[in-house]
Amino acid sequence: MTSAGARRPTSRGVFAIEEEELLLPDPIALDTSFVVEALIATQPLHVVCRVFLDQIDASGVSITTSDLLSVELAEAAFAIALKERWGSSWRRHRTDGRARRRAGRLLDDTVARYETVLASKDHIPVPVGEVTNGARGFMTAYGLASCDALHAASAVAAGAKAIVTIDTGFAFLPSTALLVYTDRSRVASCRNKRPH
Amino acid sequence: MVSSMESMAKTQTNGRPEPLSPERLAELRRPAKYKTPEEKRAALKRATEGLRVKVRVTPDMYGRR
Repeated sequence: MTSAGARRPTSRGVFAIEEEELLLPDPIALDTSFVVEALIATQPLHVVCRVFLDQIDASGVSITTSDLLSVELAEAAFAIALKERWGSSWRRHRTDGRARRRAGRLLDDTVARYETVLASKDHIPVPVGEVTNGARGFMTAYGLASCDALHAASAVAAGAKAIVTIDTGFAFLPSTALLVYTDRSRVASCRNKRPH
Repeated sequence: MVSSMESMAKTQTNGRPEPLSPERLAELRRPAKYKTPEEKRAALKRATEGLRVKVRVTPDMYGRR
């Protein structure tokens, strides 16, 4: 069994979520990139992430998320509607109202699904305002992007030892700060990014 | 591992993250609404099946690089 406490030195605190016997710390933090893949059936990692949500359920561990996650999900829903209508030029049409009806429906659907996921587990939501100092610390110490820093700081604030993500930027943190659980194709990239 | 993380969180006060107090975490915690394995499975199925979109969602679409 692979576990956070008995990991191989070469793991550098990065583990593949496809590993069936991966030990899950309690609580475990979820990042937006993982939730997007799990909720949207047409995403390339949907099945992998959905199966991992099942694994979290089966393990009985609680989850923690930053309140930023629901805002990022809403942004994704809005951008989907724009991109469906305008293709590659979607960024230029943000203020055009013609995609808003579709955006509103998508947003409601996506947020409802997210809340259903949260309701199936004990959940610790972390308000953004309680971790802004910590996020700044992660940005200046390790070069994390602002959103990654907020999610990472929220995870640490809630006592999570690992974050589930498809975003390799979390690997800029040292493994002593946060373990990274990601899909198999990103494991090597994350390990290479870990600071020495 | 756990002890080193706790140590880090408690001793770093120069802007790096600190864990919230147990009292605050207890305030924030929301118990699961669905309790039984069957309810949880059904909820997860409802949440993760059937949402299909016509484009691939990329990180820049929710503000990431």
